Amino acid sequence: MKLYKLTLAALLLLAFPLSASAQTTLRIFTGGQQRPDVMRKIADEYQKKNPNVKVEVEVGGATSEAQQQYLSTVLSSKDSVLDVILIDVIRPAQWAAQGWAEPLDSYLGADKAKIMAQYLKAYADADQVNGKLIALPYFADSQFLYYRKDLLEKYKRPVPKTWDEMMDTAKAIMDGEKNSNLQGFSTAGAPIEGTVCTYLVPLWGAGGELTREGKLNLDAPQAREPFQLYGRMKQSGVLPKNIAEIPTDRIRIDMQAGNLVFGMTWSYVWNRLENDADSKVKGKIGVTTLPHDPGGKSATCIGGWQLAVSAFSKNKAETVKFARWLSSPEVSKMQAILASHMPVFPSVYKDPEVLKANPWFSEALLVVEGAKSRPVTAQYPQVSDVIRSNMNAYLAGTKTTDVALGDMKSRLTPLFR
Amino acid sequence: MTETSIVKHKDLSERTLGILLLLPAALLLLVIVVYPIATLFWNSLHSADPNNPQAEELFVGLDNYTRAFVDDRFWNSTLKTVLYVVVTVPGALLVGLGLALLANQPFRVKWPVRLGLLLPWALPLVFAGLIFRWFFEYKTGVVNDWLAALGMEPPQWLSDPTLAFWAICIAITWKASSFMALMLLAGLQTIPRSLYEAAEVDGATSWQQFVEITLPMLRPAIFVALIFRTITAVQTFDIPYAMTGGGPGDATETLAMYINKMTLDFLDFGYGSALAALMFLISMVATSGYLRYTRRSAARSGE
Amino acid sequence: MNWTRSKIIWIAAAIIVVNGFFPAVWILLTSFKTETELLQVPITYLPQAATLDNYIAAFTAQPILRFMWNSVVVAGLSTALCVLVSALAAYALTRLKLPHRNLIMSLLLAVAMFPLISLMVPLFKLMRELGLLNTYLALILPYTVLSMPICTLVMASFFQDIPSDLEAAAMIDGCSRVGALFKIVVPLSAPGVFTAAILAFVNAWDEFLLALTMMNRVNMRTLSVGITLYQGEFAFPWPLISAALIVAIVPICILIAVFQERVVGGLTAGGVKG
Repeated sequence: MKLYKLTLAALLLLAFPLSASAQTTLRIFTGGQQRPDVMRKIADEYQKKNPNVKVEVEVGGATSEAQQQYLSTVLSSKDSVLDVILIDVIRPAQWAAQGWAEPLDSYLGADKAKIMAQYLKAYADADQVNGKLIALPYFADSQFLYYRKDLLEKYKRPVPKTWDEMMDTAKAIMDGEKNSNLQGFSTAGAPIEGTVCTYLVPLWGAGGELTREGKLNLDAPQAREPFQLYGRMKQSGVLPKNIAEIPTDRIRIDMQAGNLVFGMTWSYVWNRLENDADSKVKGKIGVTTLPHDPGGKSATCIGGWQLAVSAFSKNKAETVKFARWLSSPEVSKMQAILASHMPVFPSVYKDPEVLKANPWFSEALLVVEGAKSRPVTAQYPQVSDVIRSNMNAYLAGTKTTDVALGDMKSRLTPLFR
Repeated sequence: MTETSIVKHKDLSERTLGILLLLPAALLLLVIVVYPIATLFWNSLHSADPNNPQAEELFVGLDNYTRAFVDDRFWNSTLKTVLYVVVTVPGALLVGLGLALLANQPFRVKWPVRLGLLLPWALPLVFAGLIFRWFFEYKTGVVNDWLAALGMEPPQWLSDPTLAFWAICIAITWKASSFMALMLLAGLQTIPRSLYEAAEVDGATSWQQFVEITLPMLRPAIFVALIFRTITAVQTFDIPYAMTGGGPGDATETLAMYINKMTLDFLDFGYGSALAALMFLISMVATSGYLRYTRRSAARSGE
Repeated sequence: MNWTRSKIIWIAAAIIVVNGFFPAVWILLTSFKTETELLQVPITYLPQAATLDNYIAAFTAQPILRFMWNSVVVAGLSTALCVLVSALAAYALTRLKLPHRNLIMSLLLAVAMFPLISLMVPLFKLMRELGLLNTYLALILPYTVLSMPICTLVMASFFQDIPSDLEAAAMIDGCSRVGALFKIVVPLSAPGVFTAAILAFVNAWDEFLLALTMMNRVNMRTLSVGITLYQGEFAFPWPLISAALIVAIVPICILIAVFQERVVGGLTAGGVKG
């Protein structure tokens, strides 16, 4: 009987949805990893300035995948529960095609060009699909080459500019240190989103492109370059044997334990290496642009998160106002100081308070300015799937360069018609 | 033939009672699943234009189904799924039966054993997958630590298609045998002790007792367990998803993983629904053997 | 003879316990370790410097007790509902003369054959139309239905074996048919009912996708979704997640252990063996 009463009480207590209030309530969706606590602080700030608005922060699944599972369901049902949604930089094209994001051009009006010019160019580009503004940049991210300053100094090696220099240096240090746990270079190799960049970065660094004028460009000789590069690295033992099992965070873990000379990974790693109590490499880490081919130019993948206004929001005017404030230099600065999120405005990188909190941002700006977008297409998830699974199969040794590249071509061709 | 005449002349009310008793279940089914399943079939006959997904979905007839027939990835993932079924259903049955027999020993304190049976089942699937991925990790996994201790060269379990397949099978079997054992243990507990006592008096060995008493008495429980294990095995998703993400390449990808990708990643609800309907067919085929058996035995007992 | 018997029992116990407990114990040990310790090669088994920090973090980083309460409510109520509804259905299907019994049984089974993932969008729409999003019913109803096929089948296979004389005797004593179901059939099938209940409970306790989709408020999350919130986009802090997992598993274990010893032990002892 107790159970029965308890049950009834629980049902009564929780069958009630939140009561409606006189204010405008805006709901913003953020992933668990994009510092919802900081988002809350920022939202509080907004509420102070706009007493008629109440902001609710909804925290979705921790990984980009879990968030997408949820968002796909909610948005396919044209549900109006969310107003602003933080989306991955790879998503605007898909969101535009699905009609999930409210185009923002009309809200910006004549100022659009002027406003967009203030952002880092890569983001201004990534958020506009076929001339329509789909989202506003929130914070930036990109891949860097992390390296062990102390080991390079010990072996009197310069910071490598090309892949071959990096391989030589890594090999020399591995041979010199005689530590069987020390690995030369690591990057994402598991069949995950990051592995797309594992293919694209050396391709770009060799002067190649995945697409040229909207057509697949994998017949170019540079398309083989990434495979051959990793093949050489694997052979020389610079790459971990289990590279095909390496997810993104493993690179940070190995670096932090002092087991890695070079690592290609995202900006979040810097803080962990410098601030975690258990880091063995505090003060020993340098960050620079990723290597390239002798004739090519360094390139990197952009990451980061964008603010999309839901097309199903019932408060579009208020929502856009909020989103525009979130995508302002003021908030970019708050994020940089509170969460070490990389700003989306070049100007903010030079702010003394930001630099005091993140001294390495002075170097980071250079890298981010050279960052490129992954292919912008409504069918990006399919494109990503083809690239990552073939790269992964090659790294695992189950496909040769010819087979992996051939499969990539035949599966990507229908997606770029 | 034991039915009494009282029951017989109450036939009509018995039917009404039966319908009344089935009503709650039927209502729940109607509200919760009939509409989604109807939507699924409806979707499977429609397709959105990938270049203009906002437009009204077009009726495409069976196009989504014919598309599956020429889709290599559908066949590959189906083949993998069938292999997982073929390995893990009997595997889990054998291990589960063993565990259930062991657990049915007269322990004075039952709960540690009961917990040992339950823990694999109680560990959420996704985390079971992640834990096993960790066990099979190249450098920090326990399995390779043991192999190294035995002086063997540690393999890269998860980047070799064959080894990855077996690693996944081990994880699934571990998780599913717990479910099997639970079902079978319940069956074992209803076998009256007197049957064994009588057999012992007749001088039957324990093997004979097992074959003559335990197995036949367990048969209904085994069949129910097998049906559900098979249905779940056809839907294998979380463990390979967590352990390999389908890799290397898409060597360990199951049909459920492909459906998941097609639906929520690629947002192709039409084709995703057709694949789900095909999976339903596979489940039907895989379980029809058991169903035919139950129907036969039901017919026998109904005589 | 006696000696070998107790030896067999000990070995049996050891096998089950090691097989079942190993990953759980591994998680338990991990929950006392630091992340640094996990990076060590060769790996360690026992924590080198045991710490409770992970448990402190597990309780402070997310409202885990709230998650647990949600899970208990959802799993508990859906189990109760499922067992009740399934018991009625199983009784009707096994002990009453009904036309199309097998058809009904097959239809029920067919429900289990659809992958949940492809029913997600319509289910979400349905729950929205019913206004149930972010209420416990949004999970209780689907969980009840999801476990109904297996619960019905499990109980049906037990109900089948109960001699009809017992039931007839009870009815002659003035018991109604439904009364006989709950006074005779269900108690005699205690192991089956108990198994059905565990299956339904654990199914609900583990379920992830529905829980992620139907409950989007943090304070309505269930444990299986809640635990994943401890991870980052890239980072997977095993020690912290292990602590959270232990917190999540322990109550279900205690619950089942107590239930098993007290309730079912009593019922079976009084029922079949007596």
